Amino acid sequence: MEPYLLIAPLLLLLLVFILYPVVANIYLSFFKWKGMGKATFIGLDNYRTMFADETFWISIKNTLVLLLYIPLGVILPILISALLREGLKGWSLFRAIIYLPNILGYVIMGMISSIMFRKLGPINNVLIHLGLDAFALDWLSKPDLALNTLGLVYGVWLRLGFGCIFFLAAMSSIDESLYDAAKIDGALWWRTFWNVTIPSIRFSIEFWIVLSFIEILARAFPFIYTFSRGGPGFATFTLEYGIYNAGFVAFNMGYASTWASVLFVVCAIIAVFQVALMRKNSDVQ
Amino acid sequence: MSNSYERTVKAIMYVVLMVFALMALYPLFFVLITSLKSSAEYVNNKLFMPQSITFSNYFHVWVKGNMLRYFLNSCLLIPSALVLYLFVCITAGFAFGRLRFRFRFPLFLAVLFLMIFPQMLLSIQIFQVCRKLHLVNNYLGLILVWVAYFGPFGTYIMTTYYATVPMEIVESARLDGTGVYRMLYYIMVPIAKPMIVIIIIIGTQSMWNELPFSLLLLQTEHLRTITQGLGMLQGQYGLDDTVLSASILSASLVPLLLFVFFQRQITMGAYSGSVKG
Repeated sequence: MEPYLLIAPLLLLLLVFILYPVVANIYLSFFKWKGMGKATFIGLDNYRTMFADETFWISIKNTLVLLLYIPLGVILPILISALLREGLKGWSLFRAIIYLPNILGYVIMGMISSIMFRKLGPINNVLIHLGLDAFALDWLSKPDLALNTLGLVYGVWLRLGFGCIFFLAAMSSIDESLYDAAKIDGALWWRTFWNVTIPSIRFSIEFWIVLSFIEILARAFPFIYTFSRGGPGFATFTLEYGIYNAGFVAFNMGYASTWASVLFVVCAIIAVFQVALMRKNSDVQ
Repeated sequence: MSNSYERTVKAIMYVVLMVFALMALYPLFFVLITSLKSSAEYVNNKLFMPQSITFSNYFHVWVKGNMLRYFLNSCLLIPSALVLYLFVCITAGFAFGRLRFRFRFPLFLAVLFLMIFPQMLLSIQIFQVCRKLHLVNNYLGLILVWVAYFGPFGTYIMTTYYATVPMEIVESARLDGTGVYRMLYYIMVPIAKPMIVIIIIIGTQSMWNELPFSLLLLQTEHLRTITQGLGMLQGQYGLDDTVLSASILSASLVPLLLFVFFQRQITMGAYSGSVKG
């Protein structure tokens, strides 16, 4: 009996605040409801409205563009970690420094980034001082550019520090004799990287890719909210943002649940991958 | 391989690393110097040190902008939430990691499965649940929601830790007639201290930086958390970047202190429960 009592607090909280909301969302997506009063069953009407809603397809397109930044967000920290692995002096200080943005969190980094990327902000100022006027772009006001700025800042740069710590930890468990053998064979750095490092951290790379999907699909709202407010127009608008707009700006709760149900399906698929990897990782059988 | 070749490679490596370090440090440095400038000076001097230092932005933010209040709110709210968070993560982590019972593994997988869902997906229903339970504009509501949302990851870390504790410890305690609760309190909590410090840091950081649930559940102005106060400044017209910078730095204070004092635990926490090579 005792084990069940020990897990009861967690399970009870999860039941009320996570599992019930997820299930009730799907149920509510078949209703028209303004958040108060009676909900009316309308079958698949919300879904029809959503599939005819241009902003829905924009949010899907935006999400896909953001996902295209994952390869860069995977390769860059692996490369840096592979460099650091070889015992550069001062690397632990460096590791600490590049982790700084992760400690500050998405709201603070979103606010800072939005100031830095303003048209008359410091980044363009530096570029102009360097004589690179042509690159001093209006990062956040041009729709296509704003989305790509978001991809680079959120998808790549912001998680670089975490990525380095993550991959360094993975690389520290590689058997050093593999590197010694490669050295004796006279293998170049690049070959060793490709033939020794990458295969040895395969599991961590898989894990990191899944985490990257989660960050973009399921954790980006606070950053986008403070970085660009989903704009200009719908330029950085995502599924999560659609739920926010339909639910808490237009108070169309049934319709918001319809968007949420789509997001649920996407997240559930990713969750299956994540659970499979975590299961492999932990010693819990 | 010649020596000069290796030296060149190392030099390039250092340059690349310096660039990345600069990219991580500069934003904070920029916000710091901006927060000390007057808005008139900022218009013409975006990049360089302030010519005359002013604290008026901080005065504006802390006194007129109510940030002091929000800061104290966060300082009251988060330790209270951490108490429940620790209780939930340690009890569940111990049970999943070191006890044997029916449905243990499926339940553990279900906990892992539930931790992925985005806050916005849950928010509509969480608001309804909290409204029915009279938990809107009530710190207890936000605490429960936070622990439900951040608890699974803390539990996962504690579970993987307890799974490495030798089974003999549990069994010998059992043979001595020690009950499960006493064993948890007198043996399992003390031996897990380093891990507990790590989940305290992870929990503090997650809760301090949390925005959507706070926006949803704390609608009365004087209840807001500091991160919420900061987030709500975004998009307000007529607010100077100098004032924004002072607000950003004020909200960064606690995360920065964590960063300075718990460097080792943060690094460990970043990969505990995620990597095994």
